[in-house]
Amino acid sequence: MLEYRTQGYNGYSVKYSPFFDSRIAVAASANFGLVGNGRIYVLGLTPNGIVAEKWFDTQDSLFDTSWSEVHENQLLTAGGDGSVKLFDITLADFPVQSWQEHAREVFSVQWNLVAKDTFLSSSWDGTVKIWNPNASASLTTLPTHSCTYSAAFSPHNPSTVSCVSSDSHLRIFDLRTPASASNHLTFSIPIHTPPKPRMGVPAPVGIQPSEALSHDWNKYRDTIVATAGVDRLIRTFDIRAPNAGPIAVLPGHDYAVRRITWSPHLSDILLSASYDMTCRVWTDGSAMGAGTMKQDNTLEDPMVLGGGRQMGSMGRHTEFVTGVDWCLFGAEGWCASTGWDERVLVWDCKAIMQ
Amino acid sequence: MANQTGSGQKAQERLSQVTNHLSSSSKSGKQALLEQHPDDHLHSAVLRPAWHLDPAVTSLRPELIYCQIVVTCALRTPITKGGRGGFKDTQAADLLHGAFTSLIQRSGIDPALVEDIAVGAVLAPGGGATEFRAAALAAGFPVSTAVKSLNRQCSSGLQACVDIANAIRAGVIEVGIGAGAESMSTQYGPQAVSEFSELLESHKSAAECKVPMGVLSEKMAKEKGISRADQDKFAASSFQKAVEAQKKGLFDEEIAPLKVKWTDPKTEKEQTITVSKDDGVREGITPESLSKIKAAFAKDGSIHAGNASQISDGAAAVLLMKRSTAQRLGQKIVGKFVQASIVGVPPLLMGVGPAAAIPVVLQKTGLNKDEVDIWEINEAFASQCLYCINDLGIDIKKVNPKGGAIAFGHPLGVTGARQVSTLLTELKRTNQRIGVTSMCIGTGMGMAAVWVAE
Repeated sequence: MLEYRTQGYNGYSVKYSPFFDSRIAVAASANFGLVGNGRIYVLGLTPNGIVAEKWFDTQDSLFDTSWSEVHENQLLTAGGDGSVKLFDITLADFPVQSWQEHAREVFSVQWNLVAKDTFLSSSWDGTVKIWNPNASASLTTLPTHSCTYSAAFSPHNPSTVSCVSSDSHLRIFDLRTPASASNHLTFSIPIHTPPKPRMGVPAPVGIQPSEALSHDWNKYRDTIVATAGVDRLIRTFDIRAPNAGPIAVLPGHDYAVRRITWSPHLSDILLSASYDMTCRVWTDGSAMGAGTMKQDNTLEDPMVLGGGRQMGSMGRHTEFVTGVDWCLFGAEGWCASTGWDERVLVWDCKAIMQ
Repeated sequence: MANQTGSGQKAQERLSQVTNHLSSSSKSGKQALLEQHPDDHLHSAVLRPAWHLDPAVTSLRPELIYCQIVVTCALRTPITKGGRGGFKDTQAADLLHGAFTSLIQRSGIDPALVEDIAVGAVLAPGGGATEFRAAALAAGFPVSTAVKSLNRQCSSGLQACVDIANAIRAGVIEVGIGAGAESMSTQYGPQAVSEFSELLESHKSAAECKVPMGVLSEKMAKEKGISRADQDKFAASSFQKAVEAQKKGLFDEEIAPLKVKWTDPKTEKEQTITVSKDDGVREGITPESLSKIKAAFAKDGSIHAGNASQISDGAAAVLLMKRSTAQRLGQKIVGKFVQASIVGVPPLLMGVGPAAAIPVVLQKTGLNKDEVDIWEINEAFASQCLYCINDLGIDIKKVNPKGGAIAFGHPLGVTGARQVSTLLTELKRTNQRIGVTSMCIGTGMGMAAVWVAE
């Protein structure tokens, strides 16, 4: 396990470069992101450990970052002052571009993985905005009317945008639809909907809506989205059946789940980061053989659905874990995490599997 | 940072957002209450020094900061009959000294680590502030250990524990003692209240504050329809429970015996005796035997010496600290302080205090009344205690399982601290977890607190 200390700054997000297997960006904030400066680190993984290759300071906290998909030296930041900034790590001090449209804290930014000329941002102000790096104003604003912690482009379709927000809903937008009264909203799924009743299982009780903090598109199955948030549960949904409820529910975290991400290598593997100070690896039970031991076991946690299970837990962080990401290159299983303990850990999931 | 006010508010909004993520994701009610997490777990972030450097952050709401406060030792002296019992010739401060020395010895705490001591006392002139500080020094606490006395009438002992817990929670101190000391033998009398001015006399509720407890409880019993037979039955059962508990030795663990000088009233000779038992507990009390006693406050009244709390002497002390401190010091954790409530009620209905305070503390902690395993509700009068039990709709079998103030006495400032040791030892013995202590308070108030045995 490699470690880097973001002295004086509490981590909020970590992202592997899509171009280099040895480069990581970390968005961090002074004073736990409550007040004060932000800092975006570009870290290099070297034979001598992790070294900071570059950093930029910002006036307000930073909550997320995303690497450009077209330019290996550029990356976006999500700022507490409502700004979205584009930095070039070959330049000194200042961002190459800054967009100031959001009225409140920006909580997520993501570059479009397919049509690489757009990116998006989501904010506490209840909107998701679509941007082009060459345009000075946003292209589209998608309202959610609710603090939106996480938004993403589908990795399979450049026009499909999803987001989760504090109103406990997963929204799917299709930018190809006319911008009518619905503002491209195709449908929205209440995340807290209990699963459909099953044979031999007591009918699920009502679950309170709770803030959804993170979500991610499966990299192989183009209709599968995982969500997670304050109710400690990770769920997966199939957007072909938006009314069917979750297809998998994974309980286990002791406090709110701050971030989840699907493996770039395996279609059933998820990685999560939580306020309970752990990162956990999960299978959603969809891979062949992964869920066979579960279906008829009545002693399992009644919340478990879909035959998934926790495969391992990493407890080396000593504060809330806020960011986690998979390395896209090399042997599957390497990942990086960051949190309020001012640390970035780079580690191998395979080492913590039970 | 051009606008400090703006950024302060923003910081507060961001903090409450994170706090919501945490509090909404924590388990609810009983389950959450029973969880043991070191305070350095989730909330250390909030207590880090870096925070306090920034003026925008120092204005943040302190109630968002919380940690777990644990009890590592709770004990009491025996409680003895006022004027006649084993402590009749012992000053309150000497009783307190006895509780302190036993606490230091039993807990093994280094006295130098105790930063503050709060002592509840009701009758001592000047609050007892001077002699309690002296008692702490004499008991072996160094000069660096601060002492205060406080008076919230019958809840002073509990208030002392809550004050210390809050001071620990707020980071003012790290280790403290909540205590109570009362010598009703030497200090009971009218001098405890100064004359009411014309201003107070001319205000209705204000003037009602000085109506004697017995008189107003008599009125309340009549008003609320608590019959003499019910009161006597309740009082007799308190005696019977206490007798049985005493026979089984259930008080032995919490009682710290005390050696005192005592003058034999017959021979007038002073001798040294060791008091190790509550001497107000009488055998053979039945509702029938109580029914023969004449009412004390009204001719047609229902309240008498047998169904009201006894006048008594005693002291109690509770050692409190953060869970992480206890673990660091190797202190044995016996329980946890969770939350307290304090409410006001009409002065003439002061007896309903617990019925008003208990729902508030349950609501604060998300507990259901059925989830409470033991209730320690002070028996100031059988009438008011019984009223509160009925009004709250709680199981009377869970109330004061070892008897209460009717059987072994109510040294005013001590009771709140005494209940902690009584409650925690009984919860542990019966392998139960959650307890509530509560009492009514003269001038019309009620206080309650939730504790968890560990």
